[in-house]
Amino acid sequence: MSPVPMITIIDDDESVRLATESLIRSLGFGASCFACAEDFLGSPERCRTNCVITDVQMPGMSGVELQSRLRAEGDAVPLIFITAFPEERIRRQVDAAGAFGFLAKPFDSAAMIDCIGRALQAGAAARQG
Amino acid sequence: MSGQHHIFSGTGPPTGRWLGPTLVIASCGGIFLVDTLSPLDMAIAVLYALVVLLSARLLERTGLLLVAGSCISLTVLSFTIVHANDYALPSTMRGTVSIVAIMVTTLLCLRNQDATRSLREQAALLDLSHDAIFVRDTSDTVTYWNRGAEALYGWSREEAVGQKASALLKTVFPLARADIASTLIDTGQWEGELAHTTRDGRKLTCISRWSLQRDTRGRPMGTMETNHDITERRRAENQLHEMRADLAHVTRASTLAELTTSIAHEVNQPLAAVVTNGEACLRWLRRPVPDIRETELSVTRAIANARRASDVVARLRAVARQDDSARAPLGVAELVAESAMLLERDLSCHRVGLDLKLNHQLAPVLGDPVQLQQALINLALNAIQAMDGVPEQERMLRISTFLMAADEAAAPARVAIQVEDTGPGVAEETLPLLFTPFFSTKKRGIGLGLSISRSIVEAHAGRINAALGAGRGMCFTMALPIAEDVPQAIAKEALP
Repeated sequence: MSPVPMITIIDDDESVRLATESLIRSLGFGASCFACAEDFLGSPERCRTNCVITDVQMPGMSGVELQSRLRAEGDAVPLIFITAFPEERIRRQVDAAGAFGFLAKPFDSAAMIDCIGRALQAGAAARQG
Repeated sequence: MSGQHHIFSGTGPPTGRWLGPTLVIASCGGIFLVDTLSPLDMAIAVLYALVVLLSARLLERTGLLLVAGSCISLTVLSFTIVHANDYALPSTMRGTVSIVAIMVTTLLCLRNQDATRSLREQAALLDLSHDAIFVRDTSDTVTYWNRGAEALYGWSREEAVGQKASALLKTVFPLARADIASTLIDTGQWEGELAHTTRDGRKLTCISRWSLQRDTRGRPMGTMETNHDITERRRAENQLHEMRADLAHVTRASTLAELTTSIAHEVNQPLAAVVTNGEACLRWLRRPVPDIRETELSVTRAIANARRASDVVARLRAVARQDDSARAPLGVAELVAESAMLLERDLSCHRVGLDLKLNHQLAPVLGDPVQLQQALINLALNAIQAMDGVPEQERMLRISTFLMAADEAAAPARVAIQVEDTGPGVAEETLPLLFTPFFSTKKRGIGLGLSISRSIVEAHAGRINAALGAGRGMCFTMALPIAEDVPQAIAKEALP
């Protein structure tokens, strides 16, 4: 049996971060939280995580920039975006780069669970392949 | 001014310069010889009057007096030579008549010269003006055309004189010609804005002042028209107005976009936390072994975040409420009259007539004049724009003020402002949607005008209502409580 999947949550808003973390843990996953993308990139969690849920607008590096940085470094970790101000332009951009979800806050937990499920499956398939 | 001089003084080219004086001297000599030598018993010397007339065209005052003096001297000389020995009454009478004739002629010529000179000076003055000035007779035919007119319209004096003025300039009048004519006859003057076309086809806007010229018996003789070109000024004004309107639209739109982004962010963050905490809470509860501690934490966080969201809304309200200190008792009729002035430009652009039915006796209401004006102008602008598809002569904006009697719902009497248009109106089922933010029937509308009007009126403890007009079009009514019925505290509580 594989170990408990680890999910990373990056959001500058603490209340959203804590709520999302609680939801993730209630689903039986492991969760780690970061207030900014830079902290995540510099942490050992980066190698352990199976899926990243990130806010789009954040001070410093944005969610979109994080995606290009990871892809540029050859890191294929699945990404799910959450945003308080959904813009079609950004949705298309992250979708094109292979995002597993683009959810407007407040997001529906069923939709989030669905995104996480697909992201973990894809990650597992990639490891087996 | 040399050309002017040329026209009036008759100083001919060099060859003709000596012709006049020679003619004068020759006629004098001829008359003298006939008068002295001919046996005819006639007042030949009367013919000297012709010499004076001839000289009047050539000489100024002194020269003319000199000629007249010479003629009289010659008459006397002739008389002395012929009648030296046979003095008789009839011949003396004839001599006297001749002398009187010469004097009268001279006098008339001098008066005529004076009149001509003053006319010439006036014409020269008119030529100094930069305005286009012309005179036309009762049949609209140009009789005088100054240099300003030559410069402005491109037609020279020679070309313009004798033409029909309104045809030459393709004049477009602001009112019926008959109305202008009757003002002109009644007051002797008219002033207004005309559109003229120049010789090379440019369209001009002119401020035109007309003054009626009457003859000595008071009958209209012609009209002097002074035109001042304001085309550039008008164009600049229009451009400025358009820029201002565009800017206002952009400002509104961008302020709105910024506001939306910021509200979305500020409110959605805590809402997201509330929802997610709620969902997480349910999941902790539904576990085979419910995790009470996690459930409690989730609920606590959800409550805290719901509070945070309501704080954001409260802050927004505070921003919107900022300037309610500007409230004072004010008359709605004055409010409407002032707003009507601000609407003038839109009314004329959209060719809409305005019909005000104001009751100046109404009790005052308590309000912020700027906000209430904004509420009214939003209604009026909507009405004006709604009539674009209606034939021009049917476009009418009607604003009335009246007292709305107390109703069964125990609402006290209110002062009402009603805005009606003759536009196409809206479908009955659309009526309830009209005040919804972002609902618009206009192409460029952002759908906030009516919603803002409603917020303002409700903030003044009033009510706003949309109905289909009696005939056609829409009828909006703003009903506001009378000032003495609104204690300050209640007025403030009623704010959103």
